[in-house]
Amino acid sequence: MTPARKLLLKKILAHSLLIAFVVIVLSPFAMVVTASFRKGNFAPSKILLQPQELSLEHWKYVLGIPYKEVINPTTGETRTIQAGSPPLVWLWNSIKVSGAATIGIILLSGTAAYAFSRIRFTFRRPLLTGLLILQMFPAVLMLVAYHTILDDVGQTVRSLGLNTHPGLILVYLGGISTNIWMIKGYFDTIPASMEESARIDGASHFQAFLRVLLPMSLPIFAVVFILSFIFFMTEYPIASVVLTNTDTYTLAVGAYSFLGEQEKLWGRFAALAVLSGVPITVIFLLCQKFVIGGLVSGGVKE
Amino acid sequence: MTFSRVLAALIALPALYFSFLLYETGNPWFALLLLIATSLGLFVYSSDSAYAYRYLFPGLLGFGLFVIFPLLYTVYISFTKYSSQHLLTIDRCVAALLDETFTSGAGTFSYKLYRQDDGRYILLLRDNKDPNRAFISSPFLLKHSLAAEKPLPLEPLLPGQQPPGKPLEFEQVMRERLFMSMRGCRALLPDQTLLSLESLQEFTAHERLWVFNKDGTLTSRKDGTVIRPDLKRGFFVNNKGDQVGPGFRTFTGWDNYLQILTDPRIQVPFLRIFIWNVAFAGLSVLGSFAVGLLLAVLLDWKELHFRKLYRLLLILPYAVPGILSILILKGMFNQEFGVVNSILRGIFGVAPEWETNPWGARAMILIVNIWLGYPYMMLVCTGMLQSIPHDIYEATAIEGATPSTDLFKITIPLILPAMVPLLIGSFAYAFNNFVVIYLLTGGGPTMVGAGIAGETDILVSYTFHLAFRDTGQNYGLASAIATVIFMIVATLAWINLRANRAHFKI
Repeated sequence: MTPARKLLLKKILAHSLLIAFVVIVLSPFAMVVTASFRKGNFAPSKILLQPQELSLEHWKYVLGIPYKEVINPTTGETRTIQAGSPPLVWLWNSIKVSGAATIGIILLSGTAAYAFSRIRFTFRRPLLTGLLILQMFPAVLMLVAYHTILDDVGQTVRSLGLNTHPGLILVYLGGISTNIWMIKGYFDTIPASMEESARIDGASHFQAFLRVLLPMSLPIFAVVFILSFIFFMTEYPIASVVLTNTDTYTLAVGAYSFLGEQEKLWGRFAALAVLSGVPITVIFLLCQKFVIGGLVSGGVKE
Repeated sequence: MTFSRVLAALIALPALYFSFLLYETGNPWFALLLLIATSLGLFVYSSDSAYAYRYLFPGLLGFGLFVIFPLLYTVYISFTKYSSQHLLTIDRCVAALLDETFTSGAGTFSYKLYRQDDGRYILLLRDNKDPNRAFISSPFLLKHSLAAEKPLPLEPLLPGQQPPGKPLEFEQVMRERLFMSMRGCRALLPDQTLLSLESLQEFTAHERLWVFNKDGTLTSRKDGTVIRPDLKRGFFVNNKGDQVGPGFRTFTGWDNYLQILTDPRIQVPFLRIFIWNVAFAGLSVLGSFAVGLLLAVLLDWKELHFRKLYRLLLILPYAVPGILSILILKGMFNQEFGVVNSILRGIFGVAPEWETNPWGARAMILIVNIWLGYPYMMLVCTGMLQSIPHDIYEATAIEGATPSTDLFKITIPLILPAMVPLLIGSFAYAFNNFVVIYLLTGGGPTMVGAGIAGETDILVSYTFHLAFRDTGQNYGLASAIATVIFMIVATLAWINLRANRAHFKI
């Protein structure tokens, strides 16, 4: 075998392996798109549809548009179906909760990271180590406590209790330690000399932070914003315990509610999954360079 | 200076008010917490010596309130009896008992509604035995059911006096469906006797069943029974030791921990779950690392076409929200109707039991988790491959090395040291990956003779089931297991930190 043929063979082998992987990866996504346009409720199983199987009923349901469904094929009797609390509300709930929680997280972790990176104070090292160890505790294990605390607080302040968005946002605000480490890692790479010269010119600590360091650190804040926002948009366990009323559901809780034990409404789930998954995926892909960079270089320093 | 004082007062006042509210409603610990947080905050922002903490305070406060406090609270719950049968605090349990009533001999009352000009109504009640004894309410709205509302307070009506408004006949009340809203309506006489509408036309008098005594016991008005709280059992008991009313939360010491150690229904599954948990995390990390590295090496081959397109498509599982892809894959792995089995049946004539067979379920979980996890490894490995100088491979090519020799003898040894912390981090993440297990199998299939434990449960999902999906909702036991997991995870984290001290630049 000549070297040229050997190379060609290797290339064909590599391509076929990669194509096999791409097929495995893409087919679930293609099937879910198909399932959202398919009449009736079928689990994702086909990529192409017959024309007579096409239907927009699931999309109409998800978007809150009323549509007619034949309930008796012999008489042609129909009924009008419209979502009681349209899944679009869930998407909006998720955006509200994630937006508020993310902004809160950025404010809390940005200021804390500044102190850890720039100021030397007594408990700096133990606090940093403590944050690192405590962040490894899964929030799922504290669900009992979150549930009880929100229940008790809700007895006094109704709007912070169970089944409220502010209550859920408050619980989410606890997840700052990873972000503190990430932002601190970025601050550490920026020389302090700029701020020091600003201090010499008469700026206060806070002014130096706000006017000098923050504008230079926008990339890491973008990373933290995107990562946190996407994480909260799709967070399931905490939201499922805190939110029990369909009106207050977030996206993840609502999407899962379509696939209950008794009835699996795959079509509606698929439509909601495509509607919400596509924008999140596109945002993630657009930002993946920064995101991956942040993930690798953030807390962990080579 | 005055400005900052005004600001401090503006922060302190609502905080004080809320602490008072919390204290009043029976949450002294939350009230204390709020007071401490507020005082600390005021100190930090007014004292020069705590300058660094001005930046740290909001973050640490959030971390303290929503991570450390719930953690300590979990440990506290693990020492209590707290489940669906012991749901209320003792104060709320007493309040529930004091709300209980019984039908007393105070008689029955017929009622009449008077419609006011503004559309509201006044209720008139007349004692059936003594028609001169009559009471009226203040005007109220009658749109929703009154059953869940507070009792309507009544005032005595002087003999000969008529209530304002237009009286409604009973037929009219029925016709206008006002009766529907009136059903279950309660009213309170000036002497605190409680009346409620239980038949069509009559209110019946009720009395509160229990009287609260100073020593914490309750006495029945009906038959004089005395019940007292049994703090060990978490119930009110009478003299014979029978339980009365709902249970309350109570401190039980090490009981929940002893149950983990001694109760075979907890102890046996706990060990099996732990072993599967370690295997699940380890195999997930190794599998996704192997796949990710293979793809990264392939895509690092400069002469290959479409590398960018492949890379973009192959990171999709990482970009699509996990919860959505997990549920989609779950549908595809359905063992009767799923597409995976229909393909396998068509090509190989086999249909693995992904749901009912423990090994099938475990295999499915690993496949899905590797599918979800390899893109991260691929991206990280791609980054690390850039740092290996290319002339090494040129040198080995001259020596006649095969690609697999390159991979195992050069690439892996070179990137492994840098990968170790990331692999340990991924292991810790997978160890507690609740979402994958919960959404894919819910822990199932059921482990025989092990209570609610499932064959694919990991520690966190098992704990979650104990707390929220079990019929008993045993929060106390769940918290005890959570505390044990905290210990395990803390040890792992500490070892990790020790081993990688160099990587965490403090």
